[in-house]
Amino acid sequence: MSDFWSTCLSHLERELSTQQFNTWIKALKIEDEGESPRRLRLMAPNRFVLQRVRERYLNQIEALSRQYYGEPVNVTLGVLETEPAESKQAETTPGNTIKLGGSNSTAIDNAAYERSRLNPAFTFDTLVTGRANDLARAAAQQVATNPGVSYNPLFVYGGVGLGKTHLLHAIGNTVCANNPQAVVRYLHAEDYVSDVVRAYHQRSFDSFKQSYRSLDLLLIDDIQFFNGKDRTQEEFFYAFNAFVEAKKQIVITCDTYPKDIQGLEDRLISRFDCGLTVQIEPPELEMRVAILKKKAEVSNIEVGDDVAFLIAKNLRSNVRELEGALNRVLAFARFHGNDITIDVAKEALKDVLGATNRQITLDLVQKTVADYYKIKVADMYSHKRTRAIARPRQIAMWIARELTSHSLPEIGEAFGGRDHTTVLHACRTILDLRSRDNLLNNDVHVLMQTIKS
Amino acid sequence: MNLPRQQLLDLKPEQIPSLENFIPGRNRELLGRLKAMARPDSLDAVYLWGPPGCGRSHLLVAVANLAEERRPCLALTAAQVDDGLHLAPGGLLIVDDVHELTDAGQSSLFKTFNAARLTGLSMLMSGPVPPRELQLREDLRTRIGQALIFEIKPLTDEEKSAALQRHALMRGMRMDEGLLQYLLRHGRRDLPSLMNVLDTLDNASLEQQRPPTLPLLREVMQSILELDKE
Repeated sequence: MSDFWSTCLSHLERELSTQQFNTWIKALKIEDEGESPRRLRLMAPNRFVLQRVRERYLNQIEALSRQYYGEPVNVTLGVLETEPAESKQAETTPGNTIKLGGSNSTAIDNAAYERSRLNPAFTFDTLVTGRANDLARAAAQQVATNPGVSYNPLFVYGGVGLGKTHLLHAIGNTVCANNPQAVVRYLHAEDYVSDVVRAYHQRSFDSFKQSYRSLDLLLIDDIQFFNGKDRTQEEFFYAFNAFVEAKKQIVITCDTYPKDIQGLEDRLISRFDCGLTVQIEPPELEMRVAILKKKAEVSNIEVGDDVAFLIAKNLRSNVRELEGALNRVLAFARFHGNDITIDVAKEALKDVLGATNRQITLDLVQKTVADYYKIKVADMYSHKRTRAIARPRQIAMWIARELTSHSLPEIGEAFGGRDHTTVLHACRTILDLRSRDNLLNNDVHVLMQTIKS
Repeated sequence: MNLPRQQLLDLKPEQIPSLENFIPGRNRELLGRLKAMARPDSLDAVYLWGPPGCGRSHLLVAVANLAEERRPCLALTAAQVDDGLHLAPGGLLIVDDVHELTDAGQSSLFKTFNAARLTGLSMLMSGPVPPRELQLREDLRTRIGQALIFEIKPLTDEEKSAALQRHALMRGMRMDEGLLQYLLRHGRRDLPSLMNVLDTLDNASLEQQRPPTLPLLREVMQSILELDKE
């Protein structure tokens, strides 16, 4: 096994940058497990390395082992326990633990944690709270500290991208931290549907039921996906009853409140209603700003209030897009080596908002210009040559040339079948007039802004 | 003058899309990011957008070509995305034209998003508009909006001229600068259309055994225009 590891090391050394290799790979120690040659256990010096290796390099190491042995090798990761002071806080088994972030640094079983499908980054510590979600958060914390006792089920509903999934993971992570033996599973409702379908095809409903009944905590996301899935609903109904009877906790999220879920059996709806139902609302401006600052802080980057407000004002409806916008600003500043100023943020946000480059059509140009000069759109195609009509028409042609990708003949065609030389003449006239006629120049400027926004 | 037409052997210079043969213009940051996506340790999700003809598909194919040997890679058009989207862990999924995804395709991409963290996937997607204008399922649309978003910035006229000059050179054409300026002034403004005019001009010039001059260019542009109308 150690032969393989040295092969693997030299391969990765070639593949990765020196810094990456030294920081993440070199720090790993192989743990010899003599009796089973097809298992490889790698020990990381701390949980940060472990997480990074798992996210970035584990697949590569597995692929290399497949190449080397011609069959898959079971690669597991653990943390080397070197700080006895810390282990006083909790019972730990060396080499088989990871620690969760935040204040609860209780050790939990690594493999069991993997099976839970929880995301260690989603904790109560990383959840920003405001008026929009404080009730949901309080309920979730209550459930996480007393699972199966206080509210069962806890039903959380709200729009897309408001942090319902974050809340589910935070409950799961807290339960795991408080009780490492707890069997927790997070899953999306569609995965539950797939499990039912699989059990149906393989006629394995017994083991399907068994796998769910062995859980202590079930976190099920987006229950609205049960819509019209009768067999799934039936299975879930029995699983649900068994769960509640055994005082095991269920947490459900949905995009709407129970009575409003489409295509769901009444008996399920009434079950969902018998616990506690809480809503998450879209975050208000101040909370969006707080979320942005928190996310930036996690990346060790400071973002000023002005920049945070700018982003928060432009992306209102959900947290995901807020995060996407922040990432774009951070990446832009990093690439250009700039500080994160308001101008840098404005420039970067153009990619996200696309305000400068909407699909501008010839129609839109003609309508906007006609409205502005209070003439008829039909005058754009007509053959009238009075100044009051011809000038706006020329302006429209020039704007069309500037803001769309149409050719001169195509523009001519759209303006009542005119020749392309007419369009060219219009463009030259407007270009010339803009440098001499301030009023016209201002009109054109305003029109361009109107059309672009 | 009714000279017999020269028969053409339809040989074109091979243009395999790569990041190197994309004129960067103001897209250097994007190109750097795309190059990094080919590496097996990249976990990025990137969405790029721009109007037709801005080079989206070129970039996507280029990344697929680059990544192929280094990590599992699956490059699909929207129509090819259906129920079963299976990609090896650590892979790179590329989807062009997300706005054309069917219901099944959207559901499949949504699941892939949710699984990406656990299976170490990278995702590269593209569409004609920024995520907030995409007409897709809201839960999918916001996930795309969480990705790193890049607009493909159009080339300036000077950059287009350089690109056309290079394209002409690859075909072995000698293009007069004045001719290029005429083309830029009178033609459509997107690069693929302009390149198409060059190709047609080259063919016409070979067929009719006439040098590529302004009158020939005008004829060619006229014929393309009439073809478009039909």
